Amino acid sequence: MEPSNKEVTRRQFMSAAVAAMSSLIGAAVGLPAIAYIISPALKKKAEDWVRLGAISKVELGSPTLFKTTIERQTGWITDQEEVSAFVLSEDGQNYAAISNVCTHLGCRVRWIAEQEKFFCPCHNGVFGKDGSVISGPPPRPLDRLETKVENGVLFIRRG
Amino acid sequence: MTTRLGDWLDERFDWRRVWAAIFLRKIPHVNWLYTLGSATLFVAGLQIVTGILLTIYYVPTPDHAYDSVVYITTQVTAGWFIRGLHHWGASAMVILTVLHLLRTFFYGAYKYPREVTWLTGVLLLLVVVGFGFTGYLLPWDQKAYWATTVGTEIAGVAPGIGPWIIRVARGGEELSALTLARFFGAHVWVLPAALLALLSIHLYLIIRIGITAAPGRDE
Repeated sequence: MEPSNKEVTRRQFMSAAVAAMSSLIGAAVGLPAIAYIISPALKKKAEDWVRLGAISKVELGSPTLFKTTIERQTGWITDQEEVSAFVLSEDGQNYAAISNVCTHLGCRVRWIAEQEKFFCPCHNGVFGKDGSVISGPPPRPLDRLETKVENGVLFIRRG
Repeated sequence: MTTRLGDWLDERFDWRRVWAAIFLRKIPHVNWLYTLGSATLFVAGLQIVTGILLTIYYVPTPDHAYDSVVYITTQVTAGWFIRGLHHWGASAMVILTVLHLLRTFFYGAYKYPREVTWLTGVLLLLVVVGFGFTGYLLPWDQKAYWATTVGTEIAGVAPGIGPWIIRVARGGEELSALTLARFFGAHVWVLPAALLALLSIHLYLIIRIGITAAPGRDE
């Protein structure tokens, strides 16, 4: 260090010491406070696979509706949430999960086996077996959900 | 840079004079006991900050109060720390306020011309005790519930108006959602307003009149 010819006065030293301690206390409270406020954003979103049911229930070539209830945790409140999706398999090897929520305004679509189409009761949206739009107001095909099969049990990933 | 900004602001607000009046006061020769008031003020500030933070997650209803407190303590990042500061700060407030009062009393610092400073100080002690009493119920656990049951019961033995005090304090005959709601309202609105009002007068007088010197042997 270079010798300084400027002498630090008692007052300057005290000011610096008070400032340093204040900053220290400010940081000790301020940083946890920021972490506390942004806590919901820090939480990792649980990547949860929802167990739908046994693949043996899927009728080959026809969309089968699976329904299950899952527990959802928001804060300290646990809610029951119903998850449902159509599962379609043509070959018994590959499974596609098709959301039963109409892409128009969110009504639940119904599979009418005789016509081989999904119908939405709200505004007459019609979808094909693969979820593609045939007629009506829906702007895009029914959503596909990611699937996996483990030991004969089908899972979908909650979107 | 900061000097220029300071000058710019000073030209408009004359803040340096205010700063000097508050922080560059001449003070008599005093000892460490004279820091008790400042210590109380510091903890009060900490209580305000941590208290505001707690209201972000806390819900004052019987079906959510306890769970939200547990959530703060176990799930929220640094929640245990913020709540811990508020919890221990509450005890520190009472202890520091009383010590500060004792110092003032034994040094005779309440005498002319500081009677009003003393008076507001005594009222501030009541406010601090009020904070402690109302805040104790908010976690809504067994300890909180029964402490408030007993506390309001004690107030209820006052001759004549006792039963009336109980109903006002509890918002009814029994401890209920009404009790929790009014204790919460008192804790976060009524008492803070009273604290800030009294504290403003208290601090103004300290700056305006100045503080006493420690009394000497020959006085």
